[in-house]
Amino acid sequence: MSQPLQHINDDELAAVMEREKEELERTWSPPHGLRWWFTDTDHKGIALRYIVTAFIFFIFGGIEAALMRIQLSRPDNHFLSPDKYNQIFTVHGTTMMFLFAVPIVTALGIYLVPLMIGARDVAFPRVNLYGYFVYLIGGILLYTGLLLNTGPDAGWFAYVPLSGPSFSPGKRVDIWAQMITFTEISALVGAVIIIGSVFKMRAPGMSLNRLPLFVWAQLITAFMIIFAMPAVMLASGLLASDRLIDTHFFNPAEGGDAILYQHLFWFFGHPEVYIIFIPGLGFISSIVAAFARNKIFGYTAMVLSLIATGFIGFGLWVHHMFATPIPQVGQSLFTAASMMIAIPSGVQIFCWIATLWGSKLNIKTPLLFVLGFFAIFVLGGLTGVMLASVPLDLQIHDTFFVVAHLHYVLIGGSVFPLFGAFYYWIPKWTGRMLSETAGRWNFWLMFIGFNMVFFPMHQLGLNGMPRRVYTYLPESGWGTLNLIASIGAFVLATGVLVFVINVIWARRAGAVAGDNPWAADTLEWSVSSPPPHYNFHNIPVVQGRYAMWEATPDAPIVRGLSTTKREALVTSVLDAEPELRFEVPGPSIWPFWVSIATAVMFIVGIFTPWAFLVGAILAGAALTAWFFGDPNYKNKTVSEPAETKPIQPPPRPELQPKEV
Amino acid sequence: MSTRAVIDVSELPHHEFDTYDPVWWGNNGLLAIETSMFAILIATYFYLRQNFALWPPPIAELTAPLRPLPDLGYGTANTILLVLSCIPMIIGDLSARRGNRSMTQLMLGICVICGFVAIALRSFEFGAMHFYWDSNAYGSIVWFMLGMHMMHLAVLTTEAVLLFVWTMTREFDMKHRVDIVTLGIYWYWVVTIWLFLYAIIYFTPRLDLRA
Repeated sequence: MSQPLQHINDDELAAVMEREKEELERTWSPPHGLRWWFTDTDHKGIALRYIVTAFIFFIFGGIEAALMRIQLSRPDNHFLSPDKYNQIFTVHGTTMMFLFAVPIVTALGIYLVPLMIGARDVAFPRVNLYGYFVYLIGGILLYTGLLLNTGPDAGWFAYVPLSGPSFSPGKRVDIWAQMITFTEISALVGAVIIIGSVFKMRAPGMSLNRLPLFVWAQLITAFMIIFAMPAVMLASGLLASDRLIDTHFFNPAEGGDAILYQHLFWFFGHPEVYIIFIPGLGFISSIVAAFARNKIFGYTAMVLSLIATGFIGFGLWVHHMFATPIPQVGQSLFTAASMMIAIPSGVQIFCWIATLWGSKLNIKTPLLFVLGFFAIFVLGGLTGVMLASVPLDLQIHDTFFVVAHLHYVLIGGSVFPLFGAFYYWIPKWTGRMLSETAGRWNFWLMFIGFNMVFFPMHQLGLNGMPRRVYTYLPESGWGTLNLIASIGAFVLATGVLVFVINVIWARRAGAVAGDNPWAADTLEWSVSSPPPHYNFHNIPVVQGRYAMWEATPDAPIVRGLSTTKREALVTSVLDAEPELRFEVPGPSIWPFWVSIATAVMFIVGIFTPWAFLVGAILAGAALTAWFFGDPNYKNKTVSEPAETKPIQPPPRPELQPKEV
Repeated sequence: MSTRAVIDVSELPHHEFDTYDPVWWGNNGLLAIETSMFAILIATYFYLRQNFALWPPPIAELTAPLRPLPDLGYGTANTILLVLSCIPMIIGDLSARRGNRSMTQLMLGICVICGFVAIALRSFEFGAMHFYWDSNAYGSIVWFMLGMHMMHLAVLTTEAVLLFVWTMTREFDMKHRVDIVTLGIYWYWVVTIWLFLYAIIYFTPRLDLRA
C-alpha cells in the first residue's frame, strides 16, 4: 500500500461508526414512491428492476414457446394460423435473446460486481438508469407490436430479402429493427459501466489477479459486447434504412448484397452466444467454490480460457452461413475455429471437476443446477462440434436438429446456471432463503422437462423436419416425437412455475438468510442481506483471491470517505492503489427524459426519417439539462467544506496488533 | 486494548486527469464502441464494392462525367480544417490541465467555430458524391459513412459548446477541466476517424483494386 497504515482503537471506531451510520443512511437513501422509479440510481435497485423485467419477458417468451408446442403437438393442427405462428416464433426468439438472456446476465453483473469488488456503486449510475429505461421501452415496443398483430414475423435474425421492403411490407420488421437498437444501446452502456467499475472502483488490495472469476467473466463479456454489438446495430440500422428511405444496402438489383446482412448479423450473433454464456461460467465458478468449500482449481487457466473464448468467439460467425456460397478456404477456417473453441470450454469444465473432486460437496439446489449444466451443456457442445463440420451442417441446416442444438447450448449454458444463481443469490437480494425442497422439485422438473422437449428434436431434425414450419402432415411420422416434446414443454413450464411460487413464498415465509448463508468467499457476503444502500460502511482491504476466506480478523479498513456526500473510492487499474475520492452522482430525472427522447427518435423513426432530427434535438436538450441541471454542483467544487475528521488516530504509534 | 489498521483516504483528491478518472474510461469505452462501428462500416464499403464492375458506377446520362469520382474540393477543405482544429484543441487541453482559464475559453471558442464550419462543409460533401442515398448501393454506403461521421461532428461540437458555456458562466473547476481534457480525446478521435474515411471515400475509388 502506498498509503501509510494507521491504527485506531476498536471501541472508539465502533462508537464513531454508529454515529456515521445514520449519516450514510441519509446520504445514500433513495427517493420514495414514484420518484424512486424514475430517478433512483442505486445499482442494486436498477439491477433488480432489470432482473424482474427480464424474467417477465422470459415468462412471455415461455408462453410463446408453449403456444408453438401446442400447435406442433399433433400433425395438421390448426390451433395457430401460419401468420400467427410466424409472429410467435419470431417474437419468442427475439424475446429470449434480446430481452431476456443478455439483459438478465448483465443485470446480475450490475447487482453483484460492485459488491464483489468492494465498491459503493457502479462508476456511472445515471447512465445505468438510462440503460434500464431504454431496454424497457424496447421490450414494450416489441410486445405492443405483437398485441396489435404487427409482431415481427421474419425470424429472430430477420434475414433479407425476406425482411426487406419488397417481401415484408408494413411495419412488422421495422419494430424488430428498432427494438434491436434499444436493447443494444442498453447492453452497450451496461458494458461500459462494468468496464469502468471493474477497472477503477475495486477495493484496495484487489489487484487484477485477485479478481473473483465472476467479475472476470463479466469483464470479458463487457469487452465482447463492445466489439460485437455495433455490428447488429449496423445490420438493423441499414435494414431499417433500406425499408424507410430506400437505400440499397441489401438490394441486389442496385448493387446491394443479401449475404452482407448475414455477415453483419452473425459477426454479432455468434459472439452473442458467448455473451450469454460467459457470465453463466462466472455464476458456476462462484457456486462451485462455495459448495465445494474449495478454492477453484487452476484460477489462471480459468481466466485465460475465458479470454481465449472471448477471442475465438469472434472467429466463428461464418459457421452459421455454411449453406451460403462462401469460399471453401473460408469454410475450412471457420470449421477449425469452431472446433477450437471446444478447447477453452473443456479446460474450464475440467477445472471445475478438479475443484469438485475430493471436496466434501454440499449438494444444495444451486449446485444441482450446476451439475445439470454439465450434462446439458456437454451434450450441446457435442452437437456443436458436429454442426461445425460443413458436410453435416449442409445436411441438417435449418432442421430441428439445429433447434435442439441451440437450446441445449443456450438453456444448458445460460438458463441452468442462471437458476442456480437465483437460488444462490436471492438470499442476498431479499434476505430470505428459498425452499430447498421446492428447489429440488424445480430442478428435476426443469431437467427432465428440458430433455423431454429438446432431445427428441435431434431425431426429428435427422428425420428431416424443418424448423419454422407451422404444421406437418400425418404421413411424415413426426407426430409421436413432437407429442413427447410438447408434453415435456409443460413439465419444463411447471418447473419454472415452482420457482416463481418458491420466490413468492420465500419473500413472506422463507428462513432469514443472514449475511453469509453459504459460507462463501466473495465480498458481497460480508454485508447484510439485503445490502445497505451504500454497500460498505468501511471499504474493506482485500488480502487474497478469496476475500472472505483469506481475510484476517485484523484486516485493515479504509477510512476517510465522506459520510455526507456519495463518495466512492477510485483505485488504480492493476494494483488497486487508492487514487481518488470520486463523487458518485445521485438520483436524477434526466436519464428518464433522455430515454424518452431516444424513444421518440427510434419509435417515431419507424414512420418518418424526420423523427431522427426531432429526437436528436430533444436528446440534446435533455442532455444539456443533465449537464447543467445538478443543483449541488457548487458543493463539490468551490467550497470544499473542511471536513471534520471523524477519527483521530491515537498519538502513540502501536505495534501491529496480533489477534488470533 | 485492541486496535484496527486503517488506510486513511481523506486527503485524496476528487478528480485527476487521464486514466485516474473514471470519466476517461467511460469516454474511451464509448469510443471503442464507435471505432468498431466504423471498422465494420468500412468493411461493408469494400464488401459492396465487390458487386460493382466500376466503382463508383457510371451515370446513365449524356452530360455526366465518364467516371463520377467524388469531387475533392469540400472534402479536402474539411480535412485540412479538422486537422488544423486539433491545434486549438491541444492548446485548450494543455491550458485546462494547467488551469489557465482564459486561454481554455479562447481555444474552446475557436474549436466550437471549427466544429460548426466542419458541419457546414460536410453538408456540401454529400453533393460531391454525384449520387443520392437511394440511387444505388454505392450512394447508400458513402452517404451513410458521411452521415455517421457528421453525427459525431454534431455531438462533438455540442459537447464543445456545453463546456465552453460552462467555463464562461460557471466555475473552472477540476471536474470540468477533466471533462475538457476528455473532450480533447474525443476531438482527436473524430479527426483520426475522418482521415481514414477521407482516404477511403475519396481516394480508394481512384485506385483500381481489381488488378
